[in-house]
Amino acid sequence: MKNTKKRWLVGVLLVELCIAPVALTQAVAPATAPSATAPTPPAPTPKPILDTDLSSIPAPSADARAKGDPDGSLTGNASDITVSDPKKGLTIGDLANQVGQNKIAVNFVWTLITGYLVMFMQLGFALLETGLARAKNANHTMMMNMAVYGIGMFAYWLIGFAIQMGGVGAVANLGGTAPLSAEFTMTLFGKPFGLFGQHGMFLMHRGTYDVGVMVVFLFQMVFMDTGATIPTGAAVERWKFSAFIVTSFLFAAFTYPLFANWAWGGGWLSSLGTNFNLGKGYSDFAGSGVVHAVGGITALALAMMIGPRIGKYERSGKSNAILAHDIVIVLTGCFILAFGWFGFNPGSTLGASSNGGLRIGSIAVNTMLAGMAGSFGAMLYMWLRYNKPDASMTGNGLLAGLVAITAPSGFVNPVGAVIIGLIAGVLVCISVEFVDRVMHVDDPVGAISVHGTNGLWGVISVGLFADGKSNYGGSWNGVNGAVTGLFYGDNGGQLIAQLIGVVTLVGFVFTLSFVFNLLIDWAVGQRVAAKSELEGLDLPEMGALGYPEFELKAEM
Amino acid sequence: MILVGILLTFLGFIISVLSLAATSSVGGRLAMVLLGLAVSLFGIGVLNKAYLKNAIWKKGYGRE
Repeated sequence: MKNTKKRWLVGVLLVELCIAPVALTQAVAPATAPSATAPTPPAPTPKPILDTDLSSIPAPSADARAKGDPDGSLTGNASDITVSDPKKGLTIGDLANQVGQNKIAVNFVWTLITGYLVMFMQLGFALLETGLARAKNANHTMMMNMAVYGIGMFAYWLIGFAIQMGGVGAVANLGGTAPLSAEFTMTLFGKPFGLFGQHGMFLMHRGTYDVGVMVVFLFQMVFMDTGATIPTGAAVERWKFSAFIVTSFLFAAFTYPLFANWAWGGGWLSSLGTNFNLGKGYSDFAGSGVVHAVGGITALALAMMIGPRIGKYERSGKSNAILAHDIVIVLTGCFILAFGWFGFNPGSTLGASSNGGLRIGSIAVNTMLAGMAGSFGAMLYMWLRYNKPDASMTGNGLLAGLVAITAPSGFVNPVGAVIIGLIAGVLVCISVEFVDRVMHVDDPVGAISVHGTNGLWGVISVGLFADGKSNYGGSWNGVNGAVTGLFYGDNGGQLIAQLIGVVTLVGFVFTLSFVFNLLIDWAVGQRVAAKSELEGLDLPEMGALGYPEFELKAEM
Repeated sequence: MILVGILLTFLGFIISVLSLAATSSVGGRLAMVLLGLAVSLFGIGVLNKAYLKNAIWKKGYGRE
C-alpha cells in the first residue's frame, strides 16, 4: 500500500514535469503587440565619415598615460588601431580592417576556450569510467582514458583531420580557412557525393599551416577525442591494452573522420538537402551523431566481440550486478562532463560574433535544461521501477539528456530541449536493461546506451523538434532557410535526412568499426587472459595497482 | 554467421542510400530508410547471436 502511494506520487511528479513546460509556454506567450498609431518622422540621412574626421579623434597624451590608468578610461582607444600608413594617419580602411580582425579575434577566442572546456571532459570520462569499474582495475581504466588523448590526437594530426575537414572550404566565422579546399567526390545517381577531404595532413600539407585552420583543428580534435574515449567504457575491465591502442588509433584516423566528413566536412550527408531536397540535409549541430553515436556504436561492436566480464552472467543467462567501486568519483565525473558540455554545444557556433552567433545563450540554456530533464527522467524511472533513485543511473540520465540535445541544441527552443532530455533520461534506463538482459552484452558504464542509443535519438529529434527559428546566415548546409522539423511544419524531408544519418551510423559505422576490431582480434586478441581478469588488470597490464594500500581479493 | 551478420548490417545502409534514387516521394523514401534500419539492426542481432553461442558464461566461467 505504501509502495503504491509512493508510485502514484512519483507518477504525478513525472506527468507534471512533462506538462509544465507546455503550460508555462502558453502562460508566458506575449500578447499581440498594439499597432503603431503615431507616424514616425523619417530618419535623417547619415553623414558619411571621412578619413579627415578620424584624424580629429583625441587620443590620451603620453604624459597622461605615463601616470597610469587605474579606472581604465584611457586604455583602449583610437591610438590602439594599427595604421597602415603613418603619414596618412588613421583611415576608414584601417578602421574597417580593425573591426574585421576584432570579429575574427572574438570568434577565435570563443572557439578556443570552448575547445579547452571540451578537452576538460576527458577528465570527466576518466573519473566516470574508473568509478564505475572495480578498484582492481582503477589504474588500467584511468590509463586507457589518459592514453586515448594522445593516441587519438596523434592519429588525427597525421591523417584524421585531413579526411574530416580537408575539403570543408571556407569557414567564414574563422576568417576563411581557405586551404581546406579539396573534397574527394564521386558521382552517384547523377549527384556529387563528397566522401573525404584531402588537405591538412600534419597541419602542413597544401597551405594548412594557417591561423584559422589551427583553431578548427583544435576544436575538432577535442571532439574526436571525446568520441574515442567512449568505447573504453564499454570494454573496461577486460580489454587488452595493446588492442585498445590500435582500436583507438583506427578510430581517430578513419572511423570518426569519415562520418564527420559526411556530416560536417562537406560530405554527402550534409548535401542531402541540396542534392535530394531533403530539408536542410543531415543536420547535427554539435555531434549527437558525429561524436556520441559513432563512439557508442563502436562501443557496441567492441563489447559484443570482447564478451562479458567473468561473473557478469550466470550459466542460465541471468545478469548479475557488478557494483561501482566509487560512486563519488562517478558523479564528480558526470558534473565535469556537464560543465564541459557548455563548450561542446555553444562552441559549435565556431564564433560569438557571427551570423547566429548570439544564439550561444539559447544553445547553452537548451544544454542545461536537457541535462536536467534527462537526470530527472532517469531518476524517476528508476524510482518507479526499483523503488530507489539509483545514483549511477541518475548520472547517466544527465549525460543521456546532454548527448541527446547535442545535435538539436542549435535548432530547438527550450520546451523542445526539455522534452528531448526527458525522453533521453527514460530511454537510457530502458536501453541499459535491453543491452544487459536481452542482448547479454556487458557494458559496465552504460556507454552504448548513453552515447549510442541517445546519440541516435538526438539525431532523430532534430527532424521532429527543430523550430525553424534559428538563423545562421540565412541558410544551412547550402539550403536557404532554417532547419525545421516535422512538428513545426516540415513535410518530413528533414526527418528522412536524419534517419539516413541514423542508418549510416548503424549500418556503415558499425560495420567499419566491427571489421577493424575483428582484424585486431585476429592479430593481437582483444581480451585479456581469464587469470588477469580475475586478479584485476592493474598488475598484469599496467604493472602497478591503482590503490596499492588496499587489500584486493581475487575473484574465485 | 559472423560474415552473414556483417553483410546484413551493411546491406541496411545500402538500402537506405538507394532510397535516394529509387523514389522522390517522402513516404516511399521513409519506408525504404526504415526498411534499411530494420535490416541493419537484424544484422547486428545475427552478429550478437553468433558471439553469444560461445559466450564465456556458457563455458563455466560464470557463477553457478
